Amino acid sequence: MKESKTQKPDTSAAKTNSKNAGAKPVSVMQRRWRKFKSIKRGYYSFWIMIVMYALSFLLPVLVNNKALMVHYEGETYFPALRDLIGLSSYYSGEQFGQTSAVQGNEANYRDLRDQFEAEDSGNWVVMPLYPFGPIENLSIEENQVFAAPFESKNDSRPRLLGTDDVGRDVFSRMAYGFNVSISFALIVAIVAYLIGVPFGALSGYFGGWIDILLQRVVEIWLALPFLFLIIIVVALLGPSFTLLVSLLAAFGWLSVSILMRAEFYREKSMDYVAAAVSIGVPTHKILLKHILPNALVPIITYFPFAIVAGITQLVSLDFLGFGLPPPAPSWGQMVGVGLKYITTGYWWLVLAPLTAMFMTLLLTVFIGEGVREAYDPKTFSRLR
Amino acid sequence: MTEYFIRRLLLAVPTFFISTLIVFGIVQGAPGGPLEQQLQQLKNQTAEQGGGNSIGQTEIPPSEVAKLERYYHFHEPFFVRYLIWLGLWQRNELDFSVTIGEARKIGGGKRAVVEQPSPGQFRVLDANDRTKELDGWEVEMMEIEGEAPQPRLVKKAYAGILTFYFGESFQYNEPVGDLIADRFPVSFQFGLIGFILAYTVCIYMGILKALNHGGAFDFGTSVIVFVGYSIPGWALGAVMLVLFGGGSFLDIFPLGNFQSENYLELSFFDKFLDRAYHFILPTIAYTIAQFATLTMLTKNSLLENLSKDYVRTAFAKGLREKRVVWVHALRNSLIPIASRIGGVIGLFVASSYLIELVFNIDGLGKLSFQAILARDYNIVFAFAVISVILLILGQMLSDLALSFVNPRIRFK
Repeated sequence: MKESKTQKPDTSAAKTNSKNAGAKPVSVMQRRWRKFKSIKRGYYSFWIMIVMYALSFLLPVLVNNKALMVHYEGETYFPALRDLIGLSSYYSGEQFGQTSAVQGNEANYRDLRDQFEAEDSGNWVVMPLYPFGPIENLSIEENQVFAAPFESKNDSRPRLLGTDDVGRDVFSRMAYGFNVSISFALIVAIVAYLIGVPFGALSGYFGGWIDILLQRVVEIWLALPFLFLIIIVVALLGPSFTLLVSLLAAFGWLSVSILMRAEFYREKSMDYVAAAVSIGVPTHKILLKHILPNALVPIITYFPFAIVAGITQLVSLDFLGFGLPPPAPSWGQMVGVGLKYITTGYWWLVLAPLTAMFMTLLLTVFIGEGVREAYDPKTFSRLR
Repeated sequence: MTEYFIRRLLLAVPTFFISTLIVFGIVQGAPGGPLEQQLQQLKNQTAEQGGGNSIGQTEIPPSEVAKLERYYHFHEPFFVRYLIWLGLWQRNELDFSVTIGEARKIGGGKRAVVEQPSPGQFRVLDANDRTKELDGWEVEMMEIEGEAPQPRLVKKAYAGILTFYFGESFQYNEPVGDLIADRFPVSFQFGLIGFILAYTVCIYMGILKALNHGGAFDFGTSVIVFVGYSIPGWALGAVMLVLFGGGSFLDIFPLGNFQSENYLELSFFDKFLDRAYHFILPTIAYTIAQFATLTMLTKNSLLENLSKDYVRTAFAKGLREKRVVWVHALRNSLIPIASRIGGVIGLFVASSYLIELVFNIDGLGKLSFQAILARDYNIVFAFAVISVILLILGQMLSDLALSFVNPRIRFK
């Protein structure tokens, strides 16, 4: 054992304070943010996720089978843009003089572009970067089932990641699935927090019969096989976004409330709470303004992992066929189709969405690790 | 200590009842439940037979509806139904339609006749010897909407979950208990092997990672840990099947199933190899779920302990590092891991159906999932109850393990 190597466990708080002595005082939050920034893996993952998620809202103008702009006989139309802001983007083929149009069918913009180029009559079409939509299927003639990545048969245009069992584009579905997955997980986590935080807080602060009652509720809830129950309920009621969110949140709030309870239980015995009580601060103010900001650490560090859980659960349920109602673009559903045809070798159906899921979860876990480290005042030191 | 566990056991009783009540309520109360399913089927049948009026709306005779209601005990209030299902209230084990004064077969080669000495009073007699009253049989009036009530001859008995009566499966026409007993070993084998692997490998790896904190080994194994965090077991299973199952890339492992088709013809040694061959991929899938959390938990907990004063003291006394780490620090580091052991019990059933579906293994998970699809309610109920019991047991096991590794913990 070499005593010379022995380090005292450093107290990072004291260190940072002495470093900043004389300079502008740094708040706890700023210090944490700085530490988070210094953890490069988590910090970069954080920005990648933010940018990707923001970009995913622009998907209708990036990845879509509808044209960005159609210029036809002096007038300009913006179908993809209308998609983006949620307006009806339906234009029939005849409206643009599409020769191959079936009566009343929506315009096929990819064909329309070729047609206008061939006609050379001043009309033009600008397609999005990747001109295939997530839910267009065999009803559009050129689409093939199980086209392999980059394969182009019967004159159809090659797809980045092939197509699925009903001719939908895998890359497009994968991209839209990202937005759906993250949004879904965010909503579930937020709803779970909205239930779990007040329950845990009340239970921890007041104790007594409220606590006993709530602990029973938590215990009973934990004894329920939740994925199994969700499948039963979805099987009986039929899948819908709202139902799935409420079911997952109904189980997700448990861990949040357990964390919150422990924090409030610990904080309420602190001197600052006693001081607040003794000068007559109303209870709701003590709860919200005094304790809550101090009790947020565990649930903030838990948040990225709640997102991971939400995404995993959605993909699992979609895979089982009890997720979002079709034709919503979902990763799990694609895996399910891929596994159904596993012997025939449609590997892209399994690998594409699972790679997307893996990357998303990996980035989120990196963020979570970073946040946890940033909030953790402990630094491990080895003796010896 | 003993006192605490006795109290825990007692508290588990209401937890069990309320949890099962919730499960029962959801399945029975939600629209599209067993009774509605049967009624719909009956409607379709009568429609096919050309019955019904011109609009295509078919009416089921009220007596049929009443019979079905009786079959599912829907003529009883909800709580009675729940108690019947549990086996705490008598259920109609046998339920025959009967006409007063006429003999009727009641099974076991016996015939019974019902007499009505005065209105509202019945006697059930042996048809061959009309002086002998038959034990255990009662007569109930079946209420029918818009018609006169009909007498039913019933034999009542306590039979439910608590008496291990799970009913029969509609799909397989076999007692649910037998079906579960058939498939339990399969799921159990995977659960057990996954559990043992996860705990031995993860704890050992966690220790090595902690001792090598920041080193090359720590960094290298972190990759596996992050993969484990970021991909659920069944998804990893799916990826492995695509990569190694022979459909698209390499053909190394079988595409699921539990054993080869010619399994029974193999010699003992070949049988063992065949099992192992089919076991590898699913076992990895089972293990990975636990892998990341367990490894990181062990590592962080050991790191924390290594920076504590008692470790410093141990070193100062001149103990060898091996002894300090493996004897002094490790025991305290295992405390948070012990508290998770109970979760594993649930793993045997709770998360297995995704993996069993991916690998097409005929275990409990697949059975119960298909039961939901086929609305085979008795299997669904049985599975839900087993899960509830296992989860409650798991919570208690965690506490027990916790007090075992940490004698300082005194549950009160």
